[in-house]
Amino acid sequence: MNESVSPLTAERQASPPQKSRMRRIAQALLQGDRPYALYAAFAILLVVFSFASPWFLSIDNFLNIGRQTALVSIIAIGMTFVIIARQIDLSVGSTLALSGMSAALAMAYVGNNWVIGAIAGIGTGAIVGAINGIVTTRVNIPSFLVTLGTLSAARGLALMVTTTKPVIIDNDSFISIFGEGDIFGVPVPIIWTLLAVIAGILLLHYSVFGRQIYAAGGNPTAALYSGINTRRVTTLAFILTGMLAGLAALVLSARSHAARPDVVQGMELDVIASVTLGGCSLFGGRGFVLGTLLGSLIIGTLNNGLVLLGVSSSLQLVIKGVIIVAAVAFTRK
Amino acid sequence: MSEPVAVAAASSPQVPLIRVAGVTKRFGGVQALRGVDLEVLPGEVHALLGENGAGKSTLIKILSGVHAYDDGVIEIAGQAVAFDSPAQSRDAGVAVVYQDLSLVESLSVGANLMLGREPRTRLGFVKNRQLMATVGEFLRSHGIPLDPKVPVGSLPFAYRQMTEICKALMGEVRVLILDEPTSALTGGEEQILFDAIRAVTARGVGVIYVTHRLNEVFRISQRVTVFRDGANAGTFTTAQTDMKQLVAAIVGPAHAALQARQKTAVGDGAVAATASTAATSEEASNAGAAPVLKLSNVSNDRLHHIDLVLRRGEVHGLAGLIGSGRTEILQTIFGLRSVDAGAIEIGGRTRARITPAEAIQLGVALVPEDRHLEGLVLDHSIERNLTLPRLPHFSRWGWLRSQAAVQQAKRSMKELAVKAPNSSTAVKFLSGGNQQKVVFAKWNHPRPKLLMLDEPTVGVDVGAREEIYGVVSDAAQAGTGVLIVSSDLDELLRLCDRISIVADGCIVNTVERAELANAEALHHLIQLSRSSLEAPAT
Repeated sequence: MNESVSPLTAERQASPPQKSRMRRIAQALLQGDRPYALYAAFAILLVVFSFASPWFLSIDNFLNIGRQTALVSIIAIGMTFVIIARQIDLSVGSTLALSGMSAALAMAYVGNNWVIGAIAGIGTGAIVGAINGIVTTRVNIPSFLVTLGTLSAARGLALMVTTTKPVIIDNDSFISIFGEGDIFGVPVPIIWTLLAVIAGILLLHYSVFGRQIYAAGGNPTAALYSGINTRRVTTLAFILTGMLAGLAALVLSARSHAARPDVVQGMELDVIASVTLGGCSLFGGRGFVLGTLLGSLIIGTLNNGLVLLGVSSSLQLVIKGVIIVAAVAFTRK
Repeated sequence: MSEPVAVAAASSPQVPLIRVAGVTKRFGGVQALRGVDLEVLPGEVHALLGENGAGKSTLIKILSGVHAYDDGVIEIAGQAVAFDSPAQSRDAGVAVVYQDLSLVESLSVGANLMLGREPRTRLGFVKNRQLMATVGEFLRSHGIPLDPKVPVGSLPFAYRQMTEICKALMGEVRVLILDEPTSALTGGEEQILFDAIRAVTARGVGVIYVTHRLNEVFRISQRVTVFRDGANAGTFTTAQTDMKQLVAAIVGPAHAALQARQKTAVGDGAVAATASTAATSEEASNAGAAPVLKLSNVSNDRLHHIDLVLRRGEVHGLAGLIGSGRTEILQTIFGLRSVDAGAIEIGGRTRARITPAEAIQLGVALVPEDRHLEGLVLDHSIERNLTLPRLPHFSRWGWLRSQAAVQQAKRSMKELAVKAPNSSTAVKFLSGGNQQKVVFAKWNHPRPKLLMLDEPTVGVDVGAREEIYGVVSDAAQAGTGVLIVSSDLDELLRLCDRISIVADGCIVNTVERAELANAEALHHLIQLSRSSLEAPAT
C-alpha cells in the first residue's frame, strides 16, 4: 500500500482543535483530558478560604488537610483503577475496618511486630479485593451488587471478631511508621499518600497493566478481541484497591493507637466523589491519578475551610453535596 | 392514522417533491458542500453515491434539519424551505432512517411504531387494542408483511429495518431518506427491504437512497446522483448507465490507476490468481510444511464437526447467511469460544483450548465484524488502539516503552495511509474507512500467520475498500493465510482461492474459485445449502 493509491482525498475529519505546546505539555504531565477546570476549582477554593479565614493560609493547616485527606486519597488511587475499568467498589470502608482489625489482632496474638501488622492489614484488604474481583468477573454479577454485599459482610466480620470491641495497638514502631512519625516535618500519612500516588501514576500511566485497565474499561469487547484477559485485569484492579484500603487501615489505626470495627462508615462515598471529581468517567476508560488526588484535596480543603469558617456540620454536608455535583457537572463539559 | 400526502404531489409529476439547487455548507475551514443539486420526483428512488466525505451525510443532515445550509435553495413541493430543527423537517414531510436503528427491542412492532403517540384513555392508560388495530391497518395499507404484536428484538435484522422505515413513514411523509440501509443485511434480506421500498414508492413517496453498494443502485433506483468533494459529479438515469461509469464518477479522474487495477481484478480474478500462484510455489518449496490452520472435527455450542485446512498464502472465504455460524468459526479459532470436541492446529501446534492471547502469540489476527463494538476503543487514541493487541512487544518487565509504541503507531499509520492529524488523535474523530484501517493496522506488525477478516468492508467507501483489498492480497503474497467471512459475494470471488459455504454451524460445501463463474453461481450454492439442510427435516 503506498501513498499514491490512497483515494481518500476528500476525507474530512472532525479533527480536534490544535493544542499549543504548553497545553500539550500540561496534558502529557497529567495524562488527562480536561484537568484545567479542576485546577481552577482548586485554586478558587484556596483563594476564597485564604481571604475568608485568617487561619487557612498556613503550612500547619495544609499539613492538617493532607493528614485528614490521607485515608480518602490513598483508597481513591485504587478506586481510580476500578472506575477506569468500568467497575465500582462500594466495600472500601468496610474493607478498611476489617483490615485494621486484622492488623491489630495479628500484632496482639501472632507477634508484636509492625511487619506482621502490615502484612495482615494489607493482605486482608487484598483478599476482600480478590473476592470482589473474582465474583464480579467469574460469576458475572455487576460489581455494584457484589461490593454492596462485601460492604455488609466485611463490616459484619470486623464487628464479629471482637464482639464489637476495639483492639489496642501497643507497638511504637507501627504507630510511628504509619501514624505519628514524620520525615523532615512531613507527617507520615502524607508520605504514604505520596507513595501511593507515585505508585499509582507509574502503574496506570507507564505500565502495560495500566493500558490494559484503560482498554478493559473503554471497550471490554474490543479489549477481549485484542487478546487482553479482561477478567484478570479487572480482578487485579479490585485487589489493588483492597490493598490500598488495607494501607489506609494501617494509617488510621496507628494514628488512633487502636483498631475499631465501626470506623469510616460511608467513606466509600467520599472516595467515589473524589475520583469522579478528579475526572474519571463512571462509564470507564477515562481518568488519571493526579486528578483523583486533586479531587480528594478539593473535598478535604472544602471540609477544612468550612470548619474554619464556623459553618455548622449539618450545613457543611449540604454545601459539600451541592459543590460536588456542581463541580462534576462543570468538569464534564 | 393520516394518509401520506404524496398523492397530491403525484397528480402533477413534473413538480419534484424535493429540489436542492446550489446548496453550500462550510464547517469552519472545511467547505463540505460546494453547491450541490438534487431532485427527487414522486414515486422515484434516487440513489446518492459518493466516497466518505463527499458530502452525502452533510446534505442529509441539512435536509433533516440538523444543520443549516449557507447558500442555495431547497424546495419541498415547490415551496422554498429552510429548517431550523429536525422537527420542522419532519413536519415538512422529510423522514430519515439512519444506519443505526432506533428501536426499543423489548417492545412490540406496534408499540415501537406508536412510541410517544400512543392512543390513551382519559386516565392515561394506553389503549392497546386500538393501537394494534391502527398499526395493523397502516401495515396492511402499505403492503408490509409485519405482525404488530411481535417484539422487535425477536425479528431478523431486515424486518427490524422495515419496522424502522415504517416508523419513519408514520405521519405525513413526502420524502424518505435511507442512509446505507443494507450495510448489515445479507443477500436474501435485501430483497425484503427492496420490496418494502417499492411498496412505499407505489404510494408516491420519493426515496433518497444512500449506499456504498453499486449493484443495489441498479436493482432499486431510477436515477443516480454522484457527489465528489462536496460537488455534483453527475446525475444518471440508472437504465442508461453502467457500473464503470458510476465508479469513474465516484473516484474521479485522479484515480485512473486504481480503476485500472480494479478492472483487471474484477475482469479475471488477477489478485486471486497471483495469490494462488504464490501459494503453489510456496507449497512446492516446502512440501509437507504444516498448514497455517487446521481444524479437525471442531464442535461447540454453535459449530458441528468443522474441518478446514488453510495453507500459507491461501485466501479462504466463508460464505453463508447471517447466523449460519461463519463468525463463530472465526471466534472459535481466536479463542473467544470454547472448543467442546476436535482440535485446532495453528502453525503446526495443536490446541484443545486456546485463549485470545495465545492465539495472538501463535500469529493469529482477527478483524472483527463490528469495529465500534469489537475492534476499537473509540475514546482512545490511534496509538493506544494500535498497540493494544501487542502490548508485550512494547514493554519490558511490564513497563511500557511508550516511545517504541508511538514509533510503531506512526509507521503503521503511514503504511495503511490512515488519515489523521497524528497518532494521539482519538479514533472516534476518524471516518469509517479510516477507523477500519486502524483495525487492520492493529495486526500489521509483525505480519500475522493467519489473518481472519469478518465482513471487512461493511460501511467502507469504494476507495478505502480497494485499499483493504490491497492489504489482503499483499498479506497473502507474503505468505499469510487469510480467512474471510463476507456477505458481499463479489468480494469473496475477487479475493478468495477457495470458498466454503456455511449453514447451521456446518461447512456444507467447499469449492475452488475457478469452479465459480460469477456471483450468481455462488448465490445459488448458498441458497442450495439452506434447502439441503431443510430437506432431511421434511
